[in-house]
Amino acid sequence: MWLMQMLSETGEDTTKQSGNRVSSFLSRRDVQQAIRAWVFWAVTLGGLGYLFIPHLMADSASKTMDIVKSTFMAFYYTSVPVAAVVLAIATQTVLHNRHTGTAPPPDDNPAIETNQMANIVWVVISSALCVFLLVWGLVVDNVVAEPSRAANATVVNVTGQQWIWTFNYPDAHKDTSELYLPVDQPVIFKVQSKDVTHAFWIVQMGIKINANRGEITETAVTPNKIGVFDVRCAELCGLLHAHMQTRVHVVSKADYEKWLANQGSVEQWPAS
Amino acid sequence: MASELITEDRTRHSAKKSVGIIRHLNLGTAVIVGALLAVTVNRIATKLIIEGDETWRRHDQIVMATMLAWFIGFMIGIGALVGPTRWFFGKDLNHDEAMFLAGKDMGIKRYFRYTTDHKVVGIQYLILTIALFFIGGVLAMLIRTNLGHESGGLIPPQVYNSIVGFHGLIMIIATIIMITGPFGNFILPIMIGARDMAFPRLNALSFWLLISILPILAATIALGGIPMGWSGYNPLADQGPLGVDSYIFTIVIFAISSAVAGANITTTAMKMRARGMNWSRTPLFVFGTVASVALALPAFPVFMLSQVMSAMDRAFGANFFNPEFGGSAWLYENLFWIMGHPEVYVILIPAVVAIMEITPVFARKPLFSFNMAIVGIFGIVGLSIFVWAHHMYISGWAPLLNGPFMLTTELISIPTGLLFLVILGTIWRGSVWTRLPMLSVYALLFNFIIGGVTGIFLSDVPEDAALHGSMFVTAHFHYTLMGAGLTGALGALAYWFPKMTGRMLDEKLGRISFWLVQIGFTVTFFGMFAVGLEGQPRRVEAYDIIFKNGNLISTMGAYTIFIGMLILLAAVITSWRNGEIAGSNPWGAQTLEWMTPTPVPLENFEVLPVVTTNPYQYGIKQETSS
Repeated sequence: MWLMQMLSETGEDTTKQSGNRVSSFLSRRDVQQAIRAWVFWAVTLGGLGYLFIPHLMADSASKTMDIVKSTFMAFYYTSVPVAAVVLAIATQTVLHNRHTGTAPPPDDNPAIETNQMANIVWVVISSALCVFLLVWGLVVDNVVAEPSRAANATVVNVTGQQWIWTFNYPDAHKDTSELYLPVDQPVIFKVQSKDVTHAFWIVQMGIKINANRGEITETAVTPNKIGVFDVRCAELCGLLHAHMQTRVHVVSKADYEKWLANQGSVEQWPAS
Repeated sequence: MASELITEDRTRHSAKKSVGIIRHLNLGTAVIVGALLAVTVNRIATKLIIEGDETWRRHDQIVMATMLAWFIGFMIGIGALVGPTRWFFGKDLNHDEAMFLAGKDMGIKRYFRYTTDHKVVGIQYLILTIALFFIGGVLAMLIRTNLGHESGGLIPPQVYNSIVGFHGLIMIIATIIMITGPFGNFILPIMIGARDMAFPRLNALSFWLLISILPILAATIALGGIPMGWSGYNPLADQGPLGVDSYIFTIVIFAISSAVAGANITTTAMKMRARGMNWSRTPLFVFGTVASVALALPAFPVFMLSQVMSAMDRAFGANFFNPEFGGSAWLYENLFWIMGHPEVYVILIPAVVAIMEITPVFARKPLFSFNMAIVGIFGIVGLSIFVWAHHMYISGWAPLLNGPFMLTTELISIPTGLLFLVILGTIWRGSVWTRLPMLSVYALLFNFIIGGVTGIFLSDVPEDAALHGSMFVTAHFHYTLMGAGLTGALGALAYWFPKMTGRMLDEKLGRISFWLVQIGFTVTFFGMFAVGLEGQPRRVEAYDIIFKNGNLISTMGAYTIFIGMLILLAAVITSWRNGEIAGSNPWGAQTLEWMTPTPVPLENFEVLPVVTTNPYQYGIKQETSS
């Protein structure tokens, strides 16, 4: 709304006291209309986001995914007022200043070529938002990296090949095609590929890292929920890319130890 | 040179006299010479290249030699080499030949020749763009049909992956040329008060280079497709069938074409503006087009280089990108995205400036903050060179660079915001003349804000780790390239159609199409955002049943877009043939292209104009430029 105030100044009677400007500006008809449109869009977009987005996103099974979801909502709510300004001005102009007909409208609009205050306000606000985004991003990036620094982290070697995943537990000398993880225990994944580039993605944990041939890449997470979750390949890797998926079983620490000790095949393990 | 000659002597000449070999060269001879040379070289290569241990390399070598032969033969056959050859041996084209090349008094035939007139090239580009969008659109329908079927799987994976690759490749080519091609060639020289482009023959060259790759693209179907997608990631591409060689050739020639066009448009805008048209009086569309092609100049050669390296990998085992022998997949990814991110703005900037050109005309107000628009455009151009690795956050290449690239990426939101300010400031308190072009202004505002905001989500490193490679990304970039880019191009088409064809674009059909496309678009990509958030990967031919509803919604939306687009196509064809006759300036606009008669005469202006103000003097009570 500051913006609209600034936009309106040129071409207006500027003899008034600056203190009165705001109130006289706000009482103008087109400004009132734009404010109403702004409120409409802000409430609508905010409400829709509040109602639907949390249900659309995958369930969370880690703190990382919690952060992904809260970041999404934070950025969403930050964007709503900005998007609402754009949509409000669009709405106000199209509802109230419309000219229909086959001949061009008369040239009787205020010839506003620029407005210094509007420009300054716009640049300052968008810069401030940008700084906010950057700081937020750096902070949460640091938080999601916490499991990778944990001293007691479990290491799992992940190998992608066309079109299966193999998980190797170096401590137990065990290879599986489905992933088993203890709950509340930081895990570091050391990821590589035997052929083309794949991407190792645990959907509900919000982590993803490419699997490259000849390189070991790392990502880490602390699962915080017992259950079965999805591993999918997120990088086009050829014919059966769509089917290159498997499951993650997050189990209690006791069950995990039991499973590690068990030399049987993974199929014997009941789905959690 | 042609334009200079034409300027000197404006009396009628008979095109029949003393026109040499050029008289006989056209699309037909180009195809014949190209095909003959291709067949010959194919035979020779099959004989000469000995079968070794690595037979697949032999096939790649033969295919590449054949394509190169086709390309050279086609360019000889169309007459691209006549001028340079004459010059080399000491004699340039004579006046009659130059006039012939410019397409004087030739009617419809000039569209099938190596014609240098920028207006002919503009129309050629327009037809090519429409054709490419049609093919790309049909492919999109195949994709959505497959995914609309519950959990996908209608089309076999190898075919489906190639369809996705083709859709991407064709749409990328189409969106890159959709504004700088038709309008940058037809409109821009008139807009700056020039008689032709700076290098008319290069202009024809850039177009016919594009045509030469169409058969190569089509050959891909017989050669096993491009199942690695349009990004051509190695080592997957190295593994791919012979169709990948087509892909490589397509990219290389396209890069040459865009470099040629870029140099031409930049030089034209720099050197050929009318008297008095200093930079502050130059229309924004000129700035934006120059910014776009100038950005393509450093970007596309990198892409071309990556494809040359990829070709050497495939044909000769150079192993640039093959990790098994010391190559690096990350190297390819870097080269690709050093092109790939600037390319997004190569597409977007012309669309936004076209919309900015339209806005003041239909709002009847001066463009708001001209200077900020300039800073916004060039701010984006400058920053976009430094953001490529945000496509590689999760590649594992250099995690320490994630922070810096997050910074540069988020900084782009500031100049992009300026572009919004310019459009909003222009429509605020203006009139809104709701003709077809103006509808696109509003649609662009709506779509671009969504595309921009979702881009900010993805710039955040942890957010990207969750959403990268998902349908969310697909929806995001369709919002920018299609929602903003293509919408801008459709606005430009509606706006400049009367100047280019002499007739108005059918308003009624145009409106029906507009609403079908925009509503269909919103439905399609909201469905896609939803399944992306839920965790559906991109580029999958089959998916988990939980994504069924979102995909069904997307498919229904996509069909709606397609119907809308067909209606637009019908509107374009019928209006072009017998639409309402447009005057020289139906919108009451102030840029120079509206000051010349319609249809535009061969050399655009009877008397070259002199410019005294910028072209956005709406409501300003003083003498204007025209």
